Amino acid sequence: MMLGRVVGEVWATRKNPRIEGRKALLVAVLGQDGEKRTPTGEVVVAFDSIGARIGHTVAVAWGSGARAVFAAPDNRWTLVDAAVARIVDAVLVEKDGKEVEERED
Amino acid sequence: MFMGKVVGTVWSTVKWEGLHGLKFLVVRPYHLADLAPHLLVRPTPYTMYDGVVAADVLGAGPGEDVIVAYGHSARVAVEPELPDGKLPSRPIDAAVVAIVDHYHVESAAQDEA
Repeated sequence: MMLGRVVGEVWATRKNPRIEGRKALLVAVLGQDGEKRTPTGEVVVAFDSIGARIGHTVAVAWGSGARAVFAAPDNRWTLVDAAVARIVDAVLVEKDGKEVEERED
Repeated sequence: MFMGKVVGTVWSTVKWEGLHGLKFLVVRPYHLADLAPHLLVRPTPYTMYDGVVAADVLGAGPGEDVIVAYGHSARVAVEPELPDGKLPSRPIDAAVVAIVDHYHVESAAQDEA
């Protein structure tokens, strides 16, 4: 999984019927830049089922992990390769040998 | 998945049997600098964006924005459900799954709020 920030939403009417009803979010990938998490510039599209909104920090699951978010256990025909798996409240990071909690807004 | 702009079409005469009838597009992924540059804390080195070759069964054309899925999901996207519990196995790993009508990104003003 990777950490990202929700930066937008996408709408499409012409789409594969297997993604009918899915909500698509634009998620900017976050990288650790020294002590801060900042966008790397890469943007991915992830389907959301838990109500993530613009500005939220989220953890995105890939591949069969993403399919498991939507259709466990038989997800062989589920069309999703990135899904919001959780909305992140805080991240614990190690700083000078101590664990520090970094809260997300 | 990612969102990108269709920048070209790929033609080929010699190909694996299972790929006959599939159309392939070149899709350039959007970068945060294209969508919401105010969110970039530091300018990321400008790269030559990779063009991704994606199979298309929706009929997308050059200039359109599309969503592309990777891996197993791409194979699922171009295949009707197969009998006998068979799994999709055509040798592709990227496919167009939607043609974008509209997208909305957070504005600089929203970011400050």
